Amino acid sequence: MSIVTVQLGQCGNQIGHEVFSALCSDIRGSHGLCSKKENESYHDSCKERFFCEEESGVPIARAVLVDMEPKVISQTLSMAARSGHWKYNSHSHFCQKQGSGNNWANGYSVHGPRHKEAIMNLVQKEAEKCDRLGGFFTIMSMAGGTGSGLGAFVTQCLRDAFPTSFILNHVIWPYGTGEVIVQNYNSVLTLSHLYQSSDALLVHENDVIHKICAQLMNIKQISFRDVNQVIAHQLGSVFQPTHTAGEGSGYSRNPLGDLMETLVPHPEFKLLGLRNIPQMPENSLAYSTFSWPGLIKHLRQMLIANAKMEEGIDWQVRPPHPGSSIPSTNKPLHFNTSIANLVILRGKDVHDVDLGSFQDPSLYTSWLNPQDAFSAWKTPRAFNKYEKSASLVSNSQFLLKPLDSIVGKAWNMFASKAYLHQYTKFGIQEEDFLDCFTTLEQVISSYTNL
Amino acid sequence: MQSTMANPTATTPATLPCLGPKGSAGAELRATPSNKPQSLDFWRLLYVLLKQIHGSRWTESDAIDTQIRFVKSALWYHGYDRPQLHQLPPDGSVGSRELLLAFSWLLHRLGLLEQLLARNRVKTGDETSVCTCEDDLPNRQEGTTEAGPEGGLEGVVDVRYLQWLNGRLRFQWHSLHAQHQEQCKLLHKIHLFTSGSHMDQILGHFSVTETDLIRQPENYKQLLHLLESETMQLEAFLEWKQLEPVYWQWMETVLDNMAEEGNIWEAQDAHGEKRRLPEVTSCCPWADKLTGQMDRLSRDLMALQDQLHQLVTQRKAAWWEKVAAREELQKEGFSAATRKIQESAEVKLRGLAFIHAPKKNKMHGSCRLVLRNKHPASKMGFGQSQVSKEPVSAVSATEVIRELQMREASLQRELEQLREECRQRLDEIAEGLEGVICISP
Repeated sequence: MSIVTVQLGQCGNQIGHEVFSALCSDIRGSHGLCSKKENESYHDSCKERFFCEEESGVPIARAVLVDMEPKVISQTLSMAARSGHWKYNSHSHFCQKQGSGNNWANGYSVHGPRHKEAIMNLVQKEAEKCDRLGGFFTIMSMAGGTGSGLGAFVTQCLRDAFPTSFILNHVIWPYGTGEVIVQNYNSVLTLSHLYQSSDALLVHENDVIHKICAQLMNIKQISFRDVNQVIAHQLGSVFQPTHTAGEGSGYSRNPLGDLMETLVPHPEFKLLGLRNIPQMPENSLAYSTFSWPGLIKHLRQMLIANAKMEEGIDWQVRPPHPGSSIPSTNKPLHFNTSIANLVILRGKDVHDVDLGSFQDPSLYTSWLNPQDAFSAWKTPRAFNKYEKSASLVSNSQFLLKPLDSIVGKAWNMFASKAYLHQYTKFGIQEEDFLDCFTTLEQVISSYTNL
Repeated sequence: MQSTMANPTATTPATLPCLGPKGSAGAELRATPSNKPQSLDFWRLLYVLLKQIHGSRWTESDAIDTQIRFVKSALWYHGYDRPQLHQLPPDGSVGSRELLLAFSWLLHRLGLLEQLLARNRVKTGDETSVCTCEDDLPNRQEGTTEAGPEGGLEGVVDVRYLQWLNGRLRFQWHSLHAQHQEQCKLLHKIHLFTSGSHMDQILGHFSVTETDLIRQPENYKQLLHLLESETMQLEAFLEWKQLEPVYWQWMETVLDNMAEEGNIWEAQDAHGEKRRLPEVTSCCPWADKLTGQMDRLSRDLMALQDQLHQLVTQRKAAWWEKVAAREELQKEGFSAATRKIQESAEVKLRGLAFIHAPKKNKMHGSCRLVLRNKHPASKMGFGQSQVSKEPVSAVSATEVIRELQMREASLQRELEQLREECRQRLDEIAEGLEGVICISP
């Protein structure tokens, strides 16, 4: 079962490279802390999912790289090849000679259709190499110009060409004080278009990762590389093989399908947030020990208090009292209601962990019971040198405030018609903007009324 | 009879002659309609056979009344509604003659023995199942599902939960689809890599079972055992075929005896055709089917008329579009637009033709996939497997795919129609309510 990754734009390509690096170094490391058989099985499963074998012996990532300018792609290709442990297929990339001016509409309406055939040919080739196509994983930023416009278009093309495949979009939420003036417009356009064609949107917020780097990883001068490496670690903790059906079954052969089925079957609710603990600099790992009850407790409080990392959690937030008759009005403020949650545990003594606290019905919306809403995946194989590691993928009100804020800001700009000519001159009219606003308002309203 | 439970197909033909007119057991059967141990065993025999046909597992420890209930419901399911059988007591004490009738009916009507043989065949691993049957829609009642808040809040399910479940179903179906594609891909690989190696020139390549045997030769014993038991069953079946006419002659005498005893049924043909009794409470399924088909036909004609009208107006609109667009678009854009129009018209016409097409032989059941190298230059996708025309009856996979696609298109049209009806009904309801705007998806 294999996943084809589509790396879109500068952001997508840089993050994609870090993700494959993290996956590769995880399976090469001998810190599995589990039996040899388990380790081999994990190794084979990860290889099948993300890499394909070639005669040279160096695994080749199942990825398609897309960007409008050649610089980032060539850097990415050469960095991977230099590592000696994995590389990209030298033909699986598409770029143009010149850039395209950081314009969403340009990316969506001009470059997209123009280069659709070339890009989809590359994707088709990668898909055919898989014995079993498990789905597509696209990586892009939401607010950049061409990456996000082109990315929205490519996602639509993927959906048209593969109507029954799973499509997971990994989306980078821009810094609140970002440099691109029209980033809110771009975000609104990207999100509403992705909502139509994608199955799930997994979001990473730049501000949050930046804080993790500063406070948890103790990095003084935070570069994009540091941010990307944290993101890659978090993604790896979700996508590396796990036993989804209990001990004794093999590693899941359908990770994207399992993820979609447990978290996003409802078409209105597709936004997923990701939390991962513990996060710490590598040189501190050897001196720290963790207990599962402690990790679970922190993760749960991060969920209900909407905390972004394991420091600075507000422990005052409590779930509402059971037995309250009308849940939505009686829920205390700042309480994060969930629709569905997925907890992924990796490492020592994983089979004994008690996850009962996550099955508390007061955590969830009234129309879904905890058996349907909560799932847990486990593996005794430790991930990326962390003796114990827990991740939470949550379909909840995590992103409600950021989404509301972006839509609000974009609307204010739209009301004064600022910068609209950049879009209208490439075919994105005001009605299209209005449709996008309507879609997102609907999403906001659905999430608010849980 | 216990030992015969293990391999009923082999023994049924063997036991039948002994139940025939020559055997003493037959004489007893004719004389006394009830014979306790014999009917009990007969119930069990029917139970085992019917379970095998339905592909379920069975154990000898199942209680006799469960077995009897199962046999009755299975017979009813296949259309045997003779009340004398269904009124037999659940302890299995009487009724061996009724059971004999039912058994003969199964033999004739369902091809019981042939089905059992088909089920017990050694698998090649290359099988796939095909079904291009038209669904005979059950009588659709008018005014279905008047959804109203009848039972108060307790009985109401949140629609979001239903949407959730629907989404899960959809994703599971997608996963199944991916699994199927994987199986086809791997099957194609096996066929491709072993082509030219098979002794049978027409087949040309190994099946999955044969390939597995090469990889794990120590399994030959198991395969041999399976093949031997299949051969035994086939030999027993051949024996039965020779003795069959005797059996049916005997059945005629049994039926004559029953007629003499004055049961309430008209003398039917001796092979035990399904009896239609007037006092049966459910309405006559045959007449229902006919009226249903007539309704369908009239609806189809109306739909056809609408579609033709639609097609004409669409054609006109497309033509004017073409004329307008021609002046504006570049050459490539124009030809693309005309191509699209052509394609959509073709699809519609094909769909209409399908409605009128004479009923071709509908395929149903499992078949074996064989890879053919007709056009070595063409792409070998899994859809290209073709089957040769000689000795075995064969059909090209592309034909089957085309048929299924047409069926899909017609079902899609029906879905659109139903959706439109729902939309209209919602609009009507919304108009009645004050201050409510209905925005349909």
